[in-house]
Amino acid sequence: MKMLLLVACMIATVVLTGCNEESCDGRVQVQDKVKSDNLGGNIITRPFVAAGSGMLGHGIEITDVKQTRNEAGLLEVSVIGFNKAYNPNRFEYYTEWLDESGAVIESATDNWMPFSVNARSNFSFKVVSKSPNAVDFRINTRKNRKVK
Amino acid sequence: MKTIFTLVVFSILFVLTGCVQETKNIDMTNDNAKAVLALDYRDFDQAATEMVQSLLSSGKLAKPEGGQYVLTTGVITNDTMQRIDTDLLTAKIEEDITNSGQVVMTSAIGGKDSNRDSMVNDLRDVRDSAKGEEFQQDTLPNKGTLIAPDLSLSGKIYQRNLSYDKKTQQVEYYFQLKITDLKSGLRFWQKEVLIGKRGSNKAVAW
Repeated sequence: MKMLLLVACMIATVVLTGCNEESCDGRVQVQDKVKSDNLGGNIITRPFVAAGSGMLGHGIEITDVKQTRNEAGLLEVSVIGFNKAYNPNRFEYYTEWLDESGAVIESATDNWMPFSVNARSNFSFKVVSKSPNAVDFRINTRKNRKVK
Repeated sequence: MKTIFTLVVFSILFVLTGCVQETKNIDMTNDNAKAVLALDYRDFDQAATEMVQSLLSSGKLAKPEGGQYVLTTGVITNDTMQRIDTDLLTAKIEEDITNSGQVVMTSAIGGKDSNRDSMVNDLRDVRDSAKGEEFQQDTLPNKGTLIAPDLSLSGKIYQRNLSYDKKTQQVEYYFQLKITDLKSGLRFWQKEVLIGKRGSNKAVAW
């Protein structure tokens, strides 16, 4: 009986993980335990939903990348995305700036930068090139294992 | 008996040499090692990167009438329990903002010895002494040739230790930097980067 209940919960989780209650305006994020209870926020079902989300391998999704050049002639890149997981996602990103010939422009502060996103939340971060010669970029990500 | 003793000593030495922790170089680009309670190079890298990103995206270094600002590094106070050379933070920032083409650093004046090149003044002392006559006069700097800085970078690194629970301590590091216009005294830009750590009470944060 216990096993059946567990399986039923898992199935419900898999079906309903994508059906979270949406805000009427995507710019306003209402987290679980603040908004009305749903499967993802309910104290009993939440562990199953989180486990289901983990099983499905939910992670971050990049929804938009905006590129502009600021007054000083430096390239600015805004990365906008959404964390589909029911757990906070802690990751690091690394930016490489490329010149016209496609070569990497090295700088003293080239390193992995930590970033944290709440569960089921929008996020954005901005990076600025350190040289006006930058015309393109590459951003890589990895799991942040230093933070808990 | 002697032979047995020698064999035992050699055996112990052989076993123990295998237990010595092997020294390895750190992969500075992909270092996934555990965090430490004190400040390590990754914390300085993170703080410097956030500072540079904030400074360059603020647009405050872009001179309205064109050209470049002359920047000096003033005093950065180490208000932590650790022995820190504040150049670990500022050297990276200076390098990146210089490469951005928006500022020129000066070595004529600075908050500490490492920010100044003593040869700037030494050469002028030589010019004004009897030794100056030994040099070709047109190779010596004229009076009034040094350029005064427009801006100064200053700040502090501050440490706060808190008791989190019986077994855990919390250490907060505040990196605070500001840029001041030396003519008007007005503050152009400022930024604080906070790095927090929690660890065992037995660990020492200095």
